[in-house]
Amino acid sequence: MSTAVSQAKVLICDDSMMIRKKMRMLLENYGITNIYEAKDGKDAVEKYAEVSPDITFMDIVMPEMSGVEALKAIKSASPDANIVMATSIGTEGNLTEAIKYGASDFLQKPVEEERLVKLLDHYFKEV
Amino acid sequence: MFTQFFGGYLLNRQIVSAENLKKAIELKSSTRVKLGVLAINAGYMTAKQVDAVHKMQATVDKRIGDIAVEMGYLTPEQVTELLSTQKTGCLVLGQTLVDMGCLTNEEFEEALNSYKSEHHLDDEDFVAENAQKTGAVIGNFYDIDDKNTANGELISEYINILFKNLIRFIGDDFTPLPTSEIDESCTAVCQKLGGGFDAMTSVIADDKAFVAFASRYAEEELTENDEYAKDVVSEFLNLSNGLFTVNVSNNIGKELTLAPQEVKTAADVVGSGARHIMKIPVEFSFGKVIFVIAEF
Repeated sequence: MSTAVSQAKVLICDDSMMIRKKMRMLLENYGITNIYEAKDGKDAVEKYAEVSPDITFMDIVMPEMSGVEALKAIKSASPDANIVMATSIGTEGNLTEAIKYGASDFLQKPVEEERLVKLLDHYFKEV
Repeated sequence: MFTQFFGGYLLNRQIVSAENLKKAIELKSSTRVKLGVLAINAGYMTAKQVDAVHKMQATVDKRIGDIAVEMGYLTPEQVTELLSTQKTGCLVLGQTLVDMGCLTNEEFEEALNSYKSEHHLDDEDFVAENAQKTGAVIGNFYDIDDKNTANGELISEYINILFKNLIRFIGDDFTPLPTSEIDESCTAVCQKLGGGFDAMTSVIADDKAFVAFASRYAEEELTENDEYAKDVVSEFLNLSNGLFTVNVSNNIGKELTLAPQEVKTAADVVGSGARHIMKIPVEFSFGKVIFVIAEF
């Protein structure tokens, strides 16, 4: 992907207000300004359709619809979606399932800035 | 973690009162571990010898180490060695209690030695924790055995991971308590586990401790037990439970599941109809937080 950081759109899907706030801060530190939030899986699917973000960070354990179900729904409508699972429950089973449904990457919670920056560099570093 | 359980051990054996222990936890960050406590811990001096050196120091203007050498209790090499040893949490807590006048050197010596021998701990264990010994200390402290639960191993692992996360994200200024009453009017944030370990886990605390706990985890100064504070504590529970499920998946190949967290009251937890309720009360310097595993 060659989208410039300043124009990048990122969607954070997490039921925790605190996590959304902290992720937003980390993304802003990186230079991303177009940040959108969803508070559960259902909200994530709707926001994705509305915003078409370049990257989506998706928690797994969420009310209404789990992150894996939201991933499935988004990927079936938009096969090119970049969805990074950001969760503390990174068990082999969950990861295998997420990869099967097309997750691009995995971020272990608590999210470390260094790891997040590496991941964002992978998507946004100018070539 | 052995430090936290040493505090619990002192309390359990009624060697110190809950009030004094709480005060010591608050004060210990400014404590400097002295040579006497280090020598007792290393087994180089008895408490009686340390007391004799201290008595002598009151009459002469010399350093403790020099007096101990002159009195023939230590060699100069041992003094150098002791001063460079790691001041582990147990020693800091013990020194604080001695400084407060809650423990004599002799009582500290006896308590530390019995704590170490009962759990087969040596100094290395206090620096790098051994998983098997940690499990044994936890199992012993909380009396986790097969009579109470069929999931003793999982519960012990749960507590192990929970305490590691408390130390990492909240602070090491806490002591596990063997038991505690639950005030049913307190807030509870809960998360159900499934997939072969059917349990509801909870964090319960009164408003003051709840907000203080949330402030530490969020690294923000929160003042009210509002929606945000509840969200923060819920997220801590979710994180700790998530890391527990990862561990269980890696170590025993069991894939546990987690449901979204819920905000309830302590009365809902107590009256949940669980067949076994395991309370894990923890006394922090800011108040008491009770973690609960209710098994169904």
